Amino acid sequence: MSTAASENVWALEEGEVRKPGIAHIVALALFTGIGIVVGTFGSLAIPIGFVSAFWPGQAIQAVGSIWYGMWGGIAAFVFPLISNAMSGSAPLPVSMAYIPANFVQGMAAGWVFRQYKLHPALTSARDWWGFTLVGIIAANAFGALWGTSVLRAFGLITPAAHLVAWAGWFIGNSVASWVLGVLLLKFISPLVIKTKAFCKGYWA
Amino acid sequence: MKAVVTKDLGWKYSGRKRFAIEHVDLEIEENTFVSIVGPNEHGKTTLVSCIKGLIPSSFHGVWRGSVEIFGQDVRKLSAQRLAQEIGFVFADPEAQFTSMTVEEELVFGLENIGLPLGEVKERLDWVSQITMIGDLLDKSPYEISGGQKQRVAIASVLAMRPRIIILDEPTSMLDPLGKDFIFEILTNIKKETEMTVIVVEHNIEQIAPLSDVMILMYEGSIAKSGPPEVFFENSDFLIEHGIQPPQATAFIDNVRKLGDYNGPLPISLEASIPVLANILDHRLGGKG
Amino acid sequence: MAQTMELSAAKPPLRKMRRTLLGTVPVQSPIYELHPATRLFTLLFLGVVSLFIDLPEINILLIIAIFIYLRWAKVDISGLKIYLPLTVTVAIFMFTVSIAFPGADPNFHSFRFLGITFYLEPLYWTFASYWRLMAMLFGTIQYFSTNRERETLVAVRSLKVPFVITYFLSLALRSAGMFLEDMRTIREAERARGLDETSMSLRDRAKLYAMYMIPLFTLAIRRTDEISNALYARGYTPSGKLENEKQRSDYILTQYQFRRIDTILIAAMVITFVLVGVLRIGFGVFAVTQSPLRIFLLSLF
Repeated sequence: MSTAASENVWALEEGEVRKPGIAHIVALALFTGIGIVVGTFGSLAIPIGFVSAFWPGQAIQAVGSIWYGMWGGIAAFVFPLISNAMSGSAPLPVSMAYIPANFVQGMAAGWVFRQYKLHPALTSARDWWGFTLVGIIAANAFGALWGTSVLRAFGLITPAAHLVAWAGWFIGNSVASWVLGVLLLKFISPLVIKTKAFCKGYWA
Repeated sequence: MKAVVTKDLGWKYSGRKRFAIEHVDLEIEENTFVSIVGPNEHGKTTLVSCIKGLIPSSFHGVWRGSVEIFGQDVRKLSAQRLAQEIGFVFADPEAQFTSMTVEEELVFGLENIGLPLGEVKERLDWVSQITMIGDLLDKSPYEISGGQKQRVAIASVLAMRPRIIILDEPTSMLDPLGKDFIFEILTNIKKETEMTVIVVEHNIEQIAPLSDVMILMYEGSIAKSGPPEVFFENSDFLIEHGIQPPQATAFIDNVRKLGDYNGPLPISLEASIPVLANILDHRLGGKG
Repeated sequence: MAQTMELSAAKPPLRKMRRTLLGTVPVQSPIYELHPATRLFTLLFLGVVSLFIDLPEINILLIIAIFIYLRWAKVDISGLKIYLPLTVTVAIFMFTVSIAFPGADPNFHSFRFLGITFYLEPLYWTFASYWRLMAMLFGTIQYFSTNRERETLVAVRSLKVPFVITYFLSLALRSAGMFLEDMRTIREAERARGLDETSMSLRDRAKLYAMYMIPLFTLAIRRTDEISNALYARGYTPSGKLENEKQRSDYILTQYQFRRIDTILIAAMVITFVLVGVLRIGFGVFAVTQSPLRIFLLSLF
């Protein structure tokens, strides 16, 4: 698909008014609910405790922010608070400390798609690279760095283990999230774009 | 007083080429029971969504004409005011659940319109009794049977005591017993309340005897409307437009074509028995 | 009315258990004597207080106290078995990392076992951290095991959290349930068509689960529209404000009584929390160096 066609997804039509409304609150809630399930199962499936690895929740964070802008960003940091508690993968204070990283893990993708007018259905090589480099690699590199630093601050890993924990976290999460994220974007985006809750901007 | 008036109403969903409904002029008197029938995808749900105000507030698209509810433009009424004026029961009861227990579901709308707590309790008791869901209050609306779900959905709307209640294919997802139960509730609403009832329904056999007015939607426009006795005249036209008249009505209509009867068409089996008895009396009497 | 009679006669048997977010609790549980807000405070207290306590002895006692609380509440503790693998693997991970990367400090006390050099200080720190983590985890899990979504909502509404947030929370928890229900339906449909997951490799199973996501998300996206229509139809406004600027009424809150015992328990939790925090930050109490077990172990060297 051409760049011009990609831009159409984010551009407002003439006279189009988009305001945040009930549909966005519902989308936020549904995405949080989905995140709770995917996050909890992801953690329980590979129970290595508080170190995140092969956690597909980051895909939900990234995709949510691409489709629903800031609403997806909010869901990105809210659902891990609950899913971590339910799966037992992190206690409340640790989950709270993860909030900035979870927000960035989601919004990095939301930002790059809006900033560079990438198509949510990954219709060109540019879209693929944007999602992979920023939405997955950069987001997880930062998320893993923040997360392992939190674990170190809480005394849950020794300073000497920091780099190993970071690498495991970054690689594991990136792979799982890339696979799930690509599936969702390719197959579900065409449907989402037509809904009232889809955000061309950050809030509507 | 007119409960609903639409003038040259039209709606085209965003991204579609054709208007879903077009040039719809309709007047519904207060305290009447109206059924809207017609094949799928011919504009029935779109029409009632416009009357409720869901269109244009919840959909992107192109609007034409106007809808007035008791003289007020629906597009100018807030969600809270609309909720007090018009209740809406969706085809899929699960699609309208907003809460995690049946009790919360029933009081949700009442809380939204700010009723005093005493009245909330009074209406909760009343509606649980008339729809017989008192034993479900503590349960999740997702854990109960299909028929019970639809009863909860109807109860949650009835509790708000709106002046107009719209039911969009309320029996489409139910088994025969569940369908009968919903028609029993509809009968009670008609008898015991002064609500204006608008039902979108495919079950002609059961909806026709309840209706004061029937409307046929076809290709986005009103193809025919009138009281059932008039509506079912010319059954060939209805069949061509995807509507099968009640069997008893179709039978008497055929007898009428033979020239043995020229009175009004009966709409139910019960009403057709004396008509048929008269015809037979007349025939046998004539021959004897 | 014959059908009506028949329908009302076919009542389901009375439920004796209530489904909570993570398990079941008997309807007769004494925990229902406590207001949901008090129960929410147990989450905030037990889930966080260990943050200030490094002493494994106290954290182990806290875990025992949590289990006594769950027994008192008549919670089916066997449901917590799902956390057993996690508690073991977390321990393995933490101790492996601690043994493999202990950090170099000449003052550490070391000993050799099975040809490996162990350092007591990092090892004991890991031991203390593990029990602190477990205390916080079980402090969190106890809440989800004893409370329903409805009680969580009542609790946050009692604390005057804005309606838009409480409704969002309720819908999020509900949609998690719907998502699971949809997933169960899809899996059953696949099994009915002869799919045998047990014979599949781990890779194929992962692929299968990823593919489940497409119909699940499609359903969820459709629900976004349906639920927002339903909310609009019933007069919902995100702010919860009425046209006359008054707040919406809250019937469900009236179903719960806030008693004296609730005030006493909440006050006790808040005071203890503040006290522990002040003692830890201001006076270094509860630091790992004060652990009697650690002092004993060091005395062996």
